Amino acid sequence: MLERVFFGAKKEQKVIERISKHIQILHAAAECFKKAIEKKESEQMYCVADLEREADSIRREIMSMIYEGAFLPYLRSNICRFVEIVEEAFDLLKEAASEFDYIGQGLDKEIEEDCIQIADRNLQMSDMLLISFETLFSKGDLREKTLAIRIYEKQVDEIKVDLVRKMTEREVKSFWHGKILSDFVSHLTRISNVIEDASDYLLIINVSLR
Amino acid sequence: MNVVEIMTKKLETIEADASLYDAIEKMIDRRIRSLLVKPKDDKDVNGVITVRDIVTKALAKNLDLNKTKVSEITSKPLVCIDKNTDVEYAVNLMSKFNITRVFVNDGREIIGIISLLDVMSAELIKRAKEGHRA
Repeated sequence: MLERVFFGAKKEQKVIERISKHIQILHAAAECFKKAIEKKESEQMYCVADLEREADSIRREIMSMIYEGAFLPYLRSNICRFVEIVEEAFDLLKEAASEFDYIGQGLDKEIEEDCIQIADRNLQMSDMLLISFETLFSKGDLREKTLAIRIYEKQVDEIKVDLVRKMTEREVKSFWHGKILSDFVSHLTRISNVIEDASDYLLIINVSLR
Repeated sequence: MNVVEIMTKKLETIEADASLYDAIEKMIDRRIRSLLVKPKDDKDVNGVITVRDIVTKALAKNLDLNKTKVSEITSKPLVCIDKNTDVEYAVNLMSKFNITRVFVNDGREIIGIISLLDVMSAELIKRAKEGHRA
């Protein structure tokens, strides 16, 4: 009965489907990003911007549907915030992709390996975020999914410590090269924090449904 | 699941002649709990020094950290497993030798390290993914 009140109606189902699609696109963008770094092909990064635009239009659609009356009022703000956090992950990914375009093949081999590892964790985390979101409506154990996200995030933190140390040991070619490289690493490593924040929001939504 | 899939590639080394203080500094700076000790010469083999070694063999015995060499408390030989070994075998090995990490080798080269924490994390992620698409 309650399930129907919370999610069962047509409007709610449509929003859930769109949010699911939104996260799937994040996963696709993270995958495309990882492939581009691995192959050192900055041209391939354009798919990230394309997917971000697609996600942006889905986000607007979700917001409209919610303001048109989907979900009970007390749930709306939390769901909107969750979608906005996922959008922040898109923004960071897009920024990092654009910076990679500038850096091109100028990434040091050791730094590049760490960046690939972080891109891989971001990809795994976006997949786990989708699983977590689906778990919210399937009565599964959401806690164990969010724990997996936290484990990935800690792994990114570990790699970041190492990566920053390596960067400080390298000579900077020019001010702009150094700045763009620093921004690239900063954006790349913040994605995991944002996905973790999104998964925390799922826990909040889950609690508010009880 | 093979150990190569979940091992940590971050391997830090230290010279056998370095002081324990150098080892401690490196462990703290790099946030790691063990260091691979390089062989002294061609006849020597790799060893390992862990936080546990430092606490139980040096700090507890009030050894001078600046004068004591890493080689004096290094554990040898290394417990190593091939990169294609199953994780379950690695866990049994750690349990048998009462250690928390083993080194991973590819032929004669040491390429990584796997700890109980890595195994626990991998297992929890696997459970979280169970029942969902790959």
